[in-house]
Amino acid sequence: MSPANVIKQQMASLWCAATWRVFASGWIVIMAGWRSVAMLWRPALCCAIGLTLIAAAAALQPGRGIAVIYPDIGEPYRSVFARIIEGIEEQTRSRVPSFAIGANPNMQEIASELRRQDIRVVIALGRNGLKFTSGLERDIGVVAGGVLSIPEADARNISVHSLAPDPGLLFTRLQTFMPAAKRVFVVYDPNQNTWLIRLAREAARARGLELVAHEASDLKTALLIYQDIFAKANPQNDALWLIQDSTTVDETSVLPLVLRETWGRNLVFFSSSVTHVRRGALFSLYPDNVEIGRHLANSALGYLSSGGQGPRGMVSLKAVRLAVNVRTAGHLGINLAGRQNFDLIFPEQ
Amino acid sequence: MTRTCIKLLCTLLPLAWTSTAAAQPLVEEDLAMAYGDKATVSIATGTQQALRRAPAVATVITAADIAAMGAVNLDEVMETVPGVHVARKGTANTALYVMRGVFDANNPQILMLQNGIPMTLMFLGNKGDVWSGLPLDNVARIEIIRGPGSALYGADAYAGVINIITRTAADTHGTDIGVRAGSFGTWDTWVQHGGKLGPMDIAAYLRVGDTDGPKETIAADAQTLRDRTSGRPPASLAPGPMNLGRDAVDASLDLGYDKWRFRGGYKLRDKVGLGAGIGSALDPTSWAKSERVTADLSWLDPHIARDWGLGFTASYLHYADTVPTNLLLAPPGAKLGATVFPDGQIGGPNKWERQVRLSAYAIYSGFADHSLRFGAGHDDLNMYKTATYKNYLINQTTGAVTLTGPVADYSVIQPFMLPQRRKVSYAYIQDEWHFSRDWTLTAGVRHDAYSDVGGTTNPRLALVWDASHDITAKLLAGQAFRAPSFNELYGINNPVNKGNPALKPETNSTLEAAFSWQARKDMQVNVNYFRYTMKNAIRAVANTPGSMLTTYANSGEQQGRGFELETVWDVSRSLRVTANYSHQRSTDSATNTDAGYAPRNHLYARGDWRFTGGWQLSPQVNWVADRKRAFGDARADVPNYTSVDLTLRSERNKGHWDFAASIRNLFNATILEPSLAPGTAIPNDLPQAGRSFYLQATYSL
Repeated sequence: MSPANVIKQQMASLWCAATWRVFASGWIVIMAGWRSVAMLWRPALCCAIGLTLIAAAAALQPGRGIAVIYPDIGEPYRSVFARIIEGIEEQTRSRVPSFAIGANPNMQEIASELRRQDIRVVIALGRNGLKFTSGLERDIGVVAGGVLSIPEADARNISVHSLAPDPGLLFTRLQTFMPAAKRVFVVYDPNQNTWLIRLAREAARARGLELVAHEASDLKTALLIYQDIFAKANPQNDALWLIQDSTTVDETSVLPLVLRETWGRNLVFFSSSVTHVRRGALFSLYPDNVEIGRHLANSALGYLSSGGQGPRGMVSLKAVRLAVNVRTAGHLGINLAGRQNFDLIFPEQ
Repeated sequence: MTRTCIKLLCTLLPLAWTSTAAAQPLVEEDLAMAYGDKATVSIATGTQQALRRAPAVATVITAADIAAMGAVNLDEVMETVPGVHVARKGTANTALYVMRGVFDANNPQILMLQNGIPMTLMFLGNKGDVWSGLPLDNVARIEIIRGPGSALYGADAYAGVINIITRTAADTHGTDIGVRAGSFGTWDTWVQHGGKLGPMDIAAYLRVGDTDGPKETIAADAQTLRDRTSGRPPASLAPGPMNLGRDAVDASLDLGYDKWRFRGGYKLRDKVGLGAGIGSALDPTSWAKSERVTADLSWLDPHIARDWGLGFTASYLHYADTVPTNLLLAPPGAKLGATVFPDGQIGGPNKWERQVRLSAYAIYSGFADHSLRFGAGHDDLNMYKTATYKNYLINQTTGAVTLTGPVADYSVIQPFMLPQRRKVSYAYIQDEWHFSRDWTLTAGVRHDAYSDVGGTTNPRLALVWDASHDITAKLLAGQAFRAPSFNELYGINNPVNKGNPALKPETNSTLEAAFSWQARKDMQVNVNYFRYTMKNAIRAVANTPGSMLTTYANSGEQQGRGFELETVWDVSRSLRVTANYSHQRSTDSATNTDAGYAPRNHLYARGDWRFTGGWQLSPQVNWVADRKRAFGDARADVPNYTSVDLTLRSERNKGHWDFAASIRNLFNATILEPSLAPGTAIPNDLPQAGRSFYLQATYSL
């Protein structure tokens, strides 16, 4: 595509966006004005004009070369993607074209739109966003996010930012809450989390911890291993880590067992899932969505600047926030006073 | 209008259905594992912060809950809260949030906060009689504390506290435009925006709406009774419809920068109908107006130094409550005593208030196992102007009224109240002491010094025991107070109630035991038991036995007890059931009779069913039973009722559109809220709306 055509298309896109906003702003002013004329037209009009200016200020120039593809999904997950896209746009300092993918997306239409906008790297969010990119032309790079893990073979050619919290960050937090920690137990399915456990082993070694990682390919085996862990764990120095693993961390059998046994034995239990903190895990790290967007944007910009030679493979989640259960901390005798820097505190009341 | 709604429903819903059904929701297992269930992800992606200022029996209603129940007004939300029933005042049908059996005609025992700042007004000590509802489109969540909270919140946190948290930039992404139409000629349109302006977070909201209001019939009113003995042709306008129309404008601006936050708000209620009439006589033509302007600036640093957190807030409120048309206390042709009022008895009380509040607090956690919170503040509460227009004079001894001619300014000659000012200084301290494994004791005390009613000190104790990984037990004891309102202290020239400058605050001592049980991984059960004793209750007492003329006095004592049971059960990934049952018995100690008006039994249940196409259907049922009359009211008990509502809404699964449709009171149940004892003024109680509908569409830019 010639530079002149690119400029023309960008201008057309800008005009479309501007026209739409003018239309929407006009609607706001007309509706608000119409209802308020008889009552309070001046303040209403001022507010409407103010909002129009705000909306106009928010309308940034479209970016170049980067697009986002994300699943068309309901709330509250929709907001997750909205925040990630917000982070991408903040980092690229431009308005990035984004495409919501429904159950039956028109692949050809989107692909031709990507071509029309001269997109060279796609940030694919969610498993369905990633699935869509498999049909893209080879010269379009892919940076993936919003997934836990994908088969390692599939991750060789693209950069995948996982939603699994970085084990190193988790272990650092553990040592803050429990300075005497020596061993961390974890049960994982090798088909899902080999890459994460590899990272975890390195992170544990670097922090003077011993990672005792048990493999389990089915729930029954996992339950037996958990019972064995409870039998031999020493609450003074040991901790249990639940990862995001659909085989070994079952919500109906494993989680109740873990909650009951760790409470009864005063054993520290932390998790990669924030929802477990609500149930009684001591702490978890959960995604900072805007920051994830920035990380993804950096990867995409890196891809563009390196001419398609960016890093490949799985990357654990480093854009995290901290959730803590103060009730569990109290039970374990962990003094949180003076350490109020938590993003989420459970229980709610 | 109803037919129009049905037509709109038939047209819009299939449209909405086809637009979303084309895109089936994708099951994102990874997201569920990373963020948890939908309740957790809402917290983790927004700014919802739990209310953890002190242990209490509390309920938090989120924006998602509000949408599911189809509520568009705060009153509809409050009715779903355990231990709360929304009764009505005859004037403007104003909502009375009756908590645990504590009823008052003006409802001053509930502290209403918006973003932690009191919204209550000085004249009646309540949110204002020309309140006329609060829309919920800009509400992020509502926190309700049942039981006394004066140790932390001060005056009026007597029977409970309602804190409305408005949306910030973090709760609103981009620009939403909405329109809603429904029964009774109701229209609302709004626009809200959330985003950034440079380094500043900005959220703005504007809503404009109006309604004609339900036209339920008042069969007989106070004038009907007078007509029987007047020897003249009937003057009463009853039977006739209640007048509940109103126009509304709501606007807010929320700016956040670093540790600073500024909020500005505007709330206009215009052409507000007077319901069954300010004098319990139908008034189809008059209307009132209220205008509220608020602004607050706060600064918060939870880690200003090691072990220290600090925050302060300065707020301003200006409120004007005016009656541009003057009001009919009695209709044209009414005979009051020996005087006939050809144009009716007309009155126009107007008042203006200005409130400035300053507060600061600090948190210190440097002592092992202790977390201290202490704060201080000063409020300047100024009803700086009043104006009285009327066409009569009152004999203060006999209460007789005399026609004086055309309506004139009586602000000097015989005002309903002179301007009044109150200054309050206060300080409080609270310690959360984790004195043993699984045991925490929270102790707090607050002293308030009033410029007009003296000082009051109120303590609170809370003992929390984490009995096991799934059971928590709490024992709570506290004392609360309510300072008399300006009307109770300084009301003059009122045909019925006279103020009493010697009044003291009324007090309430409460003991509560609460249990929280995670019965299953998908079921939470909470139960609590409470007892309370109100002393020095401020009541209107007859000047002489049997007299209609009364003066406010610290005369009443009331005792109550009861329990509340609530559960949330995620039956499956697509179905959640929320239910609560409340039981209470409150007794007037002087007469040993039921304190009256509040339901002894109250049941609420709602199911939220998500189904294909990204839609959610939420039926809810509300059963209100066993409302006794107060002493001196010989009428039969207030009839029980069961109402059913149905709400269907989309969950933003496709594109930019969202739709909602709701049917309130589906089976057209007869809902009556009690008129006050002795029941001669409005003998058949206050009828509430029958079946109604609304449709809503929202577009997100």
